[in-house]
Amino acid sequence: MMNKIKSSMYPISFALGFIVLWELAVRLFHVPVYLLPAPSAVIEVMDGSLSSHMLVTLTEALAGFVLANILGMITAVIFVHSKSIEKGAFPLAIALKTTPLVALAPLLVVWMGTGYSSKVVASMLICFFPILVNSVKGLKAIEHEAWELFSTYKGTKAEIFWKLRLPTSLPYVFSALKISSSLAIVGAIVGEFVGANKGLGYVVLVSSYHMDTPIMFSAIIASALCGLLLFWGISWLEKKVVFWQRADDL
Amino acid sequence: MAKQEQASVSSMNEIAVTLKNCSLSFGDVPVLNNVSLDIYNNEFVSILGPSGCGKSTLLRLMLSLLQPNAGGEVKLAKDLSIGMVFQKPVLMPWLTAIQNIVLPLTIGEKRFSKKEARDKAEGALRLVGLQDFTNHFPHQLSGGMQQRIAIARALAADPAVLLMDEPFGALDEFTREKLNFELLRLWESPDTSLSTVVMVTHSIQESVIMSNRIVMMSPRPAGVDAIIPVPLPAHREVGMEELPEYHHTVNELRKRVKHL
Repeated sequence: MMNKIKSSMYPISFALGFIVLWELAVRLFHVPVYLLPAPSAVIEVMDGSLSSHMLVTLTEALAGFVLANILGMITAVIFVHSKSIEKGAFPLAIALKTTPLVALAPLLVVWMGTGYSSKVVASMLICFFPILVNSVKGLKAIEHEAWELFSTYKGTKAEIFWKLRLPTSLPYVFSALKISSSLAIVGAIVGEFVGANKGLGYVVLVSSYHMDTPIMFSAIIASALCGLLLFWGISWLEKKVVFWQRADDL
Repeated sequence: MAKQEQASVSSMNEIAVTLKNCSLSFGDVPVLNNVSLDIYNNEFVSILGPSGCGKSTLLRLMLSLLQPNAGGEVKLAKDLSIGMVFQKPVLMPWLTAIQNIVLPLTIGEKRFSKKEARDKAEGALRLVGLQDFTNHFPHQLSGGMQQRIAIARALAADPAVLLMDEPFGALDEFTREKLNFELLRLWESPDTSLSTVVMVTHSIQESVIMSNRIVMMSPRPAGVDAIIPVPLPAHREVGMEELPEYHHTVNELRKRVKHL
């Protein structure tokens, strides 16, 4: 516990030092507020409306994240059990991954409107690939001897899946979850850029029209916080679930 | 000692496993060449040969994990139950010691209820002396302890035959020697149903101190080069490495290795 506090002292003191330097630089050199607002000016504009926008973005991102991961894992299970489906559909998944989400987002808004669903789908699209690739890899990562052990005792295909393949894949699944936890926020914000009347992406866009840089900064910081919250949540869960995997193994 | 005495009156010469004219190729690569071998009840047999010669393949034939080429035959005694120990412990890292031992008892034909499986697993843990580590996870145990759990897992299902694929190959010399004799005690013990052990090894010394007969394999494609009986007393003990019979057998095996 003491060590934990000690090790978190480093990033906290660095961040505080950086904020103090920033504040001093802005005041000393009289930087205009539309270019770079002082931290104090950013904090001043952080209010209840920012947190409600943050909640919107976080909800969209989380919904897309969860749906993408469920769908990605189911797809991975299908791929692992059928070589021909994997061969046929994997290139399509890669094509989907290489299509820039920014190019797709306007289409999503045309199809689904400016409400939640277009953002959830945007977030899903960007989260889908990491979980698919890692789950396929994880489900195939069983040791040959472990398979032989199950076969020796006449383990069924279902038993091999639930008691061997699935747990073996969990460390891989969690590293995908960590990657896509930050991508999920990107997806939601890109969706909001194209057409929305709430959410952090909307706030960034509108404040840029009005050259209201302090608001813009507050929204950027809030979006970073969303990503961090998701990442920390996943890391915490990972330690509980994949307890046998030491952090340095990953 | 009890097991050997029983053996001499009843089933010493009954065959547990027979391989007849077994050849096997992986694709175009021949691995086994016409292997014929009888394994009897109540014996400890070592299969000795150079690395990669197909010794492990032989065990996989006995387990029916692999099938011999046409013309070959693997015959097991009726209702023979077989346990397997691999070179690596192959423990599930997400299961505790006891759960790892319970696992094979509760899959496939599910011969045991949850309660029975748990009791058997506890008994097996006691046999290998790890009853104080019941709820430890593999990563909390040393390599030697992990391999003992793997042996307990194989013993829990009360197999008559135990197949071991270089079970101590990955361990340090001290642990290895300790486990060698632990295994011999388990094999002799009336508390286990164990009658026959077939152990693959590439250590000449290990094969001599442990086994009644040594099956010497030739390089790939592997065939049986010779079957050498070990003239040491039935009950093996630490220190028998000093006996002239031990040296004699080791030297004989060394000579054969040179001729391969």
